Amino acid sequence: MLSRVANNLIWLDRYMERGNGILSLLTVNFYANQDSPELFSWTPIINNFTTSENEFYTEDAIKCIDFMVLNVSNSNSILNIVTKARENARSVQEHISRELWLCINNYYLYLTNKDLSRRLREEDPVQFLEDLRKHHLIYYGTADITQERGAAYNFMNVGKFLERVIQISDFTALKLIEIGKTSDSLEKGFYWKNLLLSVGGYQLYLKTHKSTFNEDHIISMVFQDKLFPRSVYYCVNKLSRHINQLIESNELEKNNLEFLLGKLESSIKYTTIESINAQGLNNYIEGIKDDIRNISLNINSVYFSNTN
Amino acid sequence: MDNKQLFSSYEKLPSTWDEMYCDNAEFRAQYSGFIEYLKKTSPEKLTKKEDLSKQLFMSQGVTFTVYNDNEGIEKIFPFDIVPRIITAEEWDKIEKGIKQRLKALNLFIKDIYNEQFIIKDGLIPAELIYSCPNFLREMKGVKVPYDVYVHISGVDLIRNNDGEFYVLEDNLRTPSGVSYMLENREISKRLFPGILPKSNVRSVSNYPNMLYKKLKELSNIANPNIVLLTPGIYNSAYYEHTTLARLMGIELVEGSDLVVKNHFVYMKTTNGLKQVDIIYRRVDDDFLDPLEFNATSVLGVAGIMAAYRKGNVNIVNAPGTGIADDKAIYIYVPDMIKYYLNEEPILKNIETYQLGRPDELEYVTKNIKDMVIKKTDGSGGYGMLMGHEATDAEIKDYLDNVKKNPSGFIAQPILRLSTAPCYINGQLSPRCIDLRPFALSGKDGIDICPGGLTRVALKKGSLVVNSSQGGGSKDTWVLQ
Repeated sequence: MLSRVANNLIWLDRYMERGNGILSLLTVNFYANQDSPELFSWTPIINNFTTSENEFYTEDAIKCIDFMVLNVSNSNSILNIVTKARENARSVQEHISRELWLCINNYYLYLTNKDLSRRLREEDPVQFLEDLRKHHLIYYGTADITQERGAAYNFMNVGKFLERVIQISDFTALKLIEIGKTSDSLEKGFYWKNLLLSVGGYQLYLKTHKSTFNEDHIISMVFQDKLFPRSVYYCVNKLSRHINQLIESNELEKNNLEFLLGKLESSIKYTTIESINAQGLNNYIEGIKDDIRNISLNINSVYFSNTN
Repeated sequence: MDNKQLFSSYEKLPSTWDEMYCDNAEFRAQYSGFIEYLKKTSPEKLTKKEDLSKQLFMSQGVTFTVYNDNEGIEKIFPFDIVPRIITAEEWDKIEKGIKQRLKALNLFIKDIYNEQFIIKDGLIPAELIYSCPNFLREMKGVKVPYDVYVHISGVDLIRNNDGEFYVLEDNLRTPSGVSYMLENREISKRLFPGILPKSNVRSVSNYPNMLYKKLKELSNIANPNIVLLTPGIYNSAYYEHTTLARLMGIELVEGSDLVVKNHFVYMKTTNGLKQVDIIYRRVDDDFLDPLEFNATSVLGVAGIMAAYRKGNVNIVNAPGTGIADDKAIYIYVPDMIKYYLNEEPILKNIETYQLGRPDELEYVTKNIKDMVIKKTDGSGGYGMLMGHEATDAEIKDYLDNVKKNPSGFIAQPILRLSTAPCYINGQLSPRCIDLRPFALSGKDGIDICPGGLTRVALKKGSLVVNSSQGGGSKDTWVLQ
């Protein structure tokens, strides 16, 4: 496979995964913000997805959603993310299924509809976000059903799970800052619950632990649960599987990558909740993010290494 | 239900061939089936179909991006839902005529880059060849597989008021539009269910397979690595490049994906370098190799021409074919057909005046209101003067420009392009059209896909069908 194509496939799925995460975060924060705006403000979300040069801030829910979804100058707005995803998909059409291309092209056209901004202002904002999110769900389903399990599929999944780990880490870090600011255990509980909602794990948590919010349970579910598809453990497992398949088919070089992956896997699989608490969750997350960054750089080098 | 008002306001242009109506205002037989369908269909329904066609082009991604203030806007090439219909008899002549012409043109290119008999025999002046910007000295003496230079061509035809097809220009470099031939047909299938089979329309869907076969045959290797080289996503024909690559199952590459090492061309893959055997390039000669042509080009591959000359890679179409579709050379094509094939041309040329000849320049100047003047190396409908609609000042300016380099210009009488019915604002109206069939030449001869791109000047009274200037397209039905 062309190195450029591999790179485009990774980014195609990274962007789509990022879009999905942002949309679910916005939905969750919208509900929470209507309950208690002082606990769930919009500023941290804007901060997390913009650069330090950003000057746009608002505590108006609709304006924030508009900025996060439709603003052209916000490089992580859904519109820009999907535009970039579409450009990546467009240049690798012979590697992805026709259905997947049509799906992402239609999503892009939906987003460029001039009426969308008015709908956000005048209609139900949750429906607005859910309609967008549906496109991501269709994307996942289409990829699953139509894409052959070859190199393209593996590269796409590498992108997807890299991005998902980054997001879980970011979302958690975001909440930890808020949690650190308060000594009220009820408020802390709100934040933890909000984290579960943002990563889509609330339902599973209730099923497992009922309606009692225990910090350790939440941390171990988000980081160590084997069956929860948006736990760090699950994502790293998948990441490792797809990377190993690429190494086996000689699409990736194993040397450093295998080492980095092994290091990350063991820090996820063999770390107990006690040792996480001992080193501090924040440090633990920073460690994961470092490892992910190194793995990502290592894979990126595929794109540049064969250029001579 | 009869839908008569659809036809009631059809105003035929004077002394112009109409594809649907005979001179006595009766319908031509080939249109009868489709007309029957139209008569049974309400304008509301037709308008809905028109809207549907636009939606389909958008949702299938048959678009090009126009960049404005960093914001990309997706545009579609306008499509008229009423098909253009060509009879089997008409097609037969077109097919034979194009084959004959391409055979001669290909022999001409071979001759020009090798022995140059045609110059030695005094048919074409040497200075005309050497002054042509599309003549590539780098191609002299280069052996190409099976002596085929022009693998893919899109000859533009128009139908004059005598009902005959004339060749407007031979596009022998990197002609585009074939994806619209394919896509227009896919859309027609959805707009008019059942009508295509009922009308015995010949299928065009085999084109990508034909093209792949022609490309593959160029190599002796059992499974040659064939790639399509695109200038990239900013090119207005990028949609076409992605479509052809996808439909042929070959890799779409950009210049930066390729590298030349020891006179072999490789693509950079995740498995390391992989040799490339055949390149269907959609990058112009000028940008192909920064070492030999435009040094600032980032669209091409450094060293690719040297690899080509060594026979280590095939480039399709061969570099330098532009010498044969230059507008100054066009005049000589009928002579070439006689010279190389000893045959009479089946398709006519449009009468063309060379402004480098003082008597012809004088004649054209006198009759300028009936003339269109073009640059010999221009394309895309730019840099033309349409005598009948230009002001005196524009004519004077243009002629001053001509006088600086008269041999860089040709003139042709203003043509009566034939008209075909278009569905515009709820009614049928005649609009000028041309026809670009796509021909593929290879080891075993020439194949022409039974169809093509019918371009239409959607502005009332306009003769310019180019997409950059208000042109659109139609599906082209060749009947069995």
